[in-house]
Amino acid sequence: MKILHLYYDIMNLYGDYANVSAMQRILEKSGEDCTVDRLSLGDNAVLSDYSFIFIGSGTERNRNVVMDDFHKYKVALKDYINSGKVLLMTGNSFEMLGSLITDAKGEKHEGLGIFNFTVTEQSKTRNTSDAIFKAEFSDKPLVGFVNKCSEIEGITDTIFEVVMGLGNNADDKHEGIRLNNFFGTHLTGPVLMKNPFFLEYMASLVLGDGKSVNTRHLGFEKSGYDVTLSELTKRLNS
Amino acid sequence: MKLFFTILICKLLRFFGGLIGKGSSLPGQIALKLCPDILSRISLPEYIIAVTGSNGKTSTVEMIAHILTTNGYSVAWNKEGSNQIEGVTTLILGASSLKGKVKADIVLIESDERFAQYTFKYITPTHYVITNLYRDQLTRNGHPEWVFEALSHSIYPATQLILNADDPLVSLFAENMEDVIWFGADELSTDVKQLRSVYNDGAYCPRCKKSMKYSTYHYNHIGHYYCTSCGYKRHDTDYTITSVDLEAGEAVINGKDKISLALKSLYNIYNILAAYTVASIVGIDGEKIAADMSNYVMKNGRVVTFDIGTNKGMLLTSKHENSISYDQSLSMAANDKNDCCVMIIVDAVSRKYFTSDVSWLWDIDFEKLDTPNVHKIILAGKYCNDLAVRFSYTDIPEERIAIFEDIDKAYDALSKENNEFIYVITCFSDKNKFLSLL
Repeated sequence: MKILHLYYDIMNLYGDYANVSAMQRILEKSGEDCTVDRLSLGDNAVLSDYSFIFIGSGTERNRNVVMDDFHKYKVALKDYINSGKVLLMTGNSFEMLGSLITDAKGEKHEGLGIFNFTVTEQSKTRNTSDAIFKAEFSDKPLVGFVNKCSEIEGITDTIFEVVMGLGNNADDKHEGIRLNNFFGTHLTGPVLMKNPFFLEYMASLVLGDGKSVNTRHLGFEKSGYDVTLSELTKRLNS
Repeated sequence: MKLFFTILICKLLRFFGGLIGKGSSLPGQIALKLCPDILSRISLPEYIIAVTGSNGKTSTVEMIAHILTTNGYSVAWNKEGSNQIEGVTTLILGASSLKGKVKADIVLIESDERFAQYTFKYITPTHYVITNLYRDQLTRNGHPEWVFEALSHSIYPATQLILNADDPLVSLFAENMEDVIWFGADELSTDVKQLRSVYNDGAYCPRCKKSMKYSTYHYNHIGHYYCTSCGYKRHDTDYTITSVDLEAGEAVINGKDKISLALKSLYNIYNILAAYTVASIVGIDGEKIAADMSNYVMKNGRVVTFDIGTNKGMLLTSKHENSISYDQSLSMAANDKNDCCVMIIVDAVSRKYFTSDVSWLWDIDFEKLDTPNVHKIILAGKYCNDLAVRFSYTDIPEERIAIFEDIDKAYDALSKENNEFIYVITCFSDKNKFLSLL
C-alpha cells in the first residue's frame, strides 16, 4: 500500500506529520507492506496510486501558497474522494477545498470548489481550544486541539458534535466536513496518534472489507487518550 | 496631580504587594485603570532597551542588567519577569519619582511578543532586541508568523532594531527599517551541513515563499540561509560569535573577546552575544563585557545543580510547548562525554493556563538521545504515556526507557543509580515537583 503525505514540509505546523507515522505503523502491524511518499510544491503526484492521503495544517500564508499549487489536483482529488478512498486533512488545510477564502487583509483566494463553503480569516484573535468532539462512527469522543483564525460558513455534512472546543463557526456546534471517506477537521497535530480509536477506524477504511486491523501495539496510545479525556472532562465540569 | 497620585498608588501597592510576596503586575494594572496613558506621561532616560523573542529573553535581560550595573549604570528592569504592559507599568512607575521622572540611566524591558504592541504604543524603545521566533506555546501563540505579525505592530521607525541575523523570520523585521544592528554566528565547528530537526521552518523564504537553502546550520533552522529566488539572505553581522569550543566551554566574540561559559550550550552563547551587542552599543568595551560574562551563573534559577545519593545532576528548565528549547537541552545530555541518565517530566503542560495538548512532543528531536552515553531514559508525569508513544517512534532501544506516571517513583528509580550524572529536563510548571523531592 502507498501513503501520500502531501505538502509535508510546508503544511506541518503542529506535529501533523505524526498522523502519517501512526497510519504507516498500524497498516504494517496489520500485515500490509506500506511505503510513504512525501511530496510538496511543484511535485506531481498521481493521487489514484495511493490508499491514504494526508495533508496537515500550515500558517495562513503557507496555506495560500499551497492552494495555488493544489489547484492542479482538483479533478484527480474529486475522483479520489468519489472512489471512496481515504483522505484526511487537518487544521486549515481542508479549507482549500471550499469555494473561497477571504484573508485577514480582505483579499480573496479561490478555493478548489469541491465544496461550496466559504472561509473568512481575521488577524486580531487566535481562536484556540482543547477539544472533545463526538462522532457518530465512534463510541468514544475524539480529543485534541483547535488552533485557527477563521470562520467557515456553508458546511452541511459535518463530522463532529462539539462537546468542548470550537465549531466550524461561532454559531455552529458542529465541526469538520465529511464526504465518503474524506475527513476534514480543524483539529490540529497528531489527531490519529492521540485518538487510537479513530486511527483504528481510519485504518479499517484504508484496508477495506474483510481485513482486520491489528491494534495490539496501541497500549500507551490508549492510556494517553484516557488521561487526556479525563483531564479535559474534569476541566469541562469545573 | 493625576500623575502624582497614580504613581503614588502604584508605588504603595508595589510596596505592600512585595511584603506579602504578591504579583508585580497588579500595581501596574490599577495604575493603567486610573490613567490609561500614564506611560506616555513619564519622562524617560536616554536609553530604553527592549528585548523580545520566543526564547532567551529573560536570560538576555538578566545578562544585560548584570553588565550594565557592573559598569556603573543604574538600570530599571523587570526582574520579576512580568513582561506584559501591566508589569512594565509597575516597573516604570516604581523607578520613577513622584513627579514622573525615571531616576535610572537605562530602562530595560523584557516584553512578551504578543503584547509588545500595546506596551510600546506609549513607551517606544530606543533599542529593540529580537532574539528569535520559534514554535513556542502555539496553543496560545498560533504560530511564528502570527507572532511576527503581532510584533511588527510594536516596531516604530525611530527605534534601532537589534536582530538575530541567523533567524530567517526575525531578519524580515529589517524590511523598510533604516537603523538595524545585526548579531549572529560565523560558521562554527559545531555546525552541520544537513538540517538536524524534526521539522523545517527554514524550508521556504519568509519573504517570497520560494525554496531556501543553507550553507551551514548552527542548530535547527538557525544558520546561513539564502533564498533561491528573491535574493533574501542572511545579513552580515556587526557582532559575531567567531568560534566556540563547547567541550572546553569557551566562545569568542568578534575574533577577540573570549568568554568562559558557565552553561555549555549554543543557546546560552546567543544570549551572551545579544547582551554583548547591547552593552557595546551603550559604550562598554568588549573586553570588559567578556570579563563580566565569563563564568557568569544565571540567577534566574533555570539551571539547578543537585545531588541524589552518589549521583550528581543538573535540571535544565526547558519550555514545554517549545521544541527548540527541548532540542537544546537534549543536545547537552547527548554531547556529554560521560555516561548519563536523562529524566523527562511532563506533568502539567503549562503553569499559566490549562491545556492538555501534547502535539509539541512530536516536534522535539528525541532521537538525539540515541547515543551510547545516554544509557537510561526516565519518562515521568501525567503525560508519560504520550512521551512513551513519542519515544516508540525513535530508534532508541526500549530497554533503555523506564516510564513512571508518579514523579516520586521516578525519583526513587533515580536514587538507585550509582555515580551517574543525571539530566532532568522539564518546564517551569513541573520543575518544583522534582526539586521538592531532593
